Amino acid sequence: MPGQAVGTESEVDNPEPRTFASVLRAQQSMVFSIAYHFLRDRSAAEEVAQDVFLQLHRRFDELKSDQHISFWLRKVASHRSIDYVRKQKSQAAVGLDSVPMPSVDGEPEDHFLNRRLQSLIGSLPEKPRMVMILRYQEDLMPEEIASVMEMPVRTVKSHLQRSLAMLREKIDRSMGDVR
Amino acid sequence: MKFAIPVMLAVLPLAAQEIKMPVSLDRLAAKASEVVDVSLDGALLQLASRFLSEKDPDEAHVKRLVGGLKGVYVKSFEFEDRDQYKESDVEELRTQLKAPGWARIVSSRSKRNGDNADIYLKTDAGQISGLAIIVTDPRELTIVNIVGSIRPEDIRDLGGHFGIPKIDINPGKNDKKDKEDNR
Amino acid sequence: MDDFEKQLKDALTKKDPSPFFEARVLGAVKRQALEHRASSRMWWASAFAAVLLVITGSAWQHERTIREEAAGKDAKARLELALKITSVKLQRISRKVEGI
Repeated sequence: MPGQAVGTESEVDNPEPRTFASVLRAQQSMVFSIAYHFLRDRSAAEEVAQDVFLQLHRRFDELKSDQHISFWLRKVASHRSIDYVRKQKSQAAVGLDSVPMPSVDGEPEDHFLNRRLQSLIGSLPEKPRMVMILRYQEDLMPEEIASVMEMPVRTVKSHLQRSLAMLREKIDRSMGDVR
Repeated sequence: MKFAIPVMLAVLPLAAQEIKMPVSLDRLAAKASEVVDVSLDGALLQLASRFLSEKDPDEAHVKRLVGGLKGVYVKSFEFEDRDQYKESDVEELRTQLKAPGWARIVSSRSKRNGDNADIYLKTDAGQISGLAIIVTDPRELTIVNIVGSIRPEDIRDLGGHFGIPKIDINPGKNDKKDKEDNR
Repeated sequence: MDDFEKQLKDALTKKDPSPFFEARVLGAVKRQALEHRASSRMWWASAFAAVLLVITGSAWQHERTIREEAAGKDAKARLELALKITSVKLQRISRKVEGI
């Protein structure tokens, strides 16, 4: 089912042969969501997600297990999302008109607080932003995040700590304003 | 004896030029019983040099000698009969060797048997840039032109090496001199 | 995990891409595979041509080497002859001059 994380169950329980199409179906939400929460733009997120899956297809035979595939997808999705933003920034130096504005999605289930948090997360610098997404969207531990992001564990923890503190403060302030 | 290099007071800054072999010499080939015609320009000399072994002392020596040369030209005719060529055949050559830069350093004449030899050196800013030798006798004509930096004694002293015979016309008399000259 | 972090998890719930995303990706994968096959065929054709060039080039080079070697040995032989003649002449002249 879309959204269901592959790799959390043993492969014995999932006897289906692993095909590209089956992985695409199982993992598209995860990949898309990483890009979406990072970029705050659906079409940009789909563009990044498509690139990630095209790359997966080229390397599919090299990835031996579901866990390996999941790790690989998270890693590539993270890096591709960051690259996308950097590319947009460099293009922005040329002409601001070409930079796509983050869309304000009308996701029905998003409450005001969720939208506020999403917006605040979106305002974090790139690496702390991705660290937060991997922690709270993907439930990865700092060590796993360090592996995906290719950064030291202590840096991951530092990003988490500071980002949480900043988000708490801003949310408290905005909730205080609302009240 | 070392071949004396004359001091040139006025040397035109001309590059070493090969001597133009007179066209008239070509017809001598038909009359000659033995003909040697060697024409090695710079490119051919370099090619030949590549096949001279560094490991063989003689070949290595020749390789070094040849390194400074731009051309080696030899025409040699031997005739069965006397007087198959005229002095005028060679005169055109001698005229060329009177050009600025050239100097005759050796002239040997023998009235007894008609053996004559001339050695010319070309210098350019005090450096040897060419060598020409004309040897004539009633049954032989040899012309050598070497373009580049070489001393006559360097080639002379190849005798006994590199398969070149060492000539000892007066055995005994010149032994001591040969030893002094050998380097 | 405290309440705030739970709130963050809620805010970062996975979202689905558009309904056509899967079909678009599979279509792009097909196009990619076709392009890869075409470039792979091109690659094999180029590789074959390159190998052919190397073989013919090698044969030509080998023939050229043999010719060059023959020319070099010939030039060396002629040089030896020229130096022999010149040396002999100079030796004779030298001895004549020294003999006086």
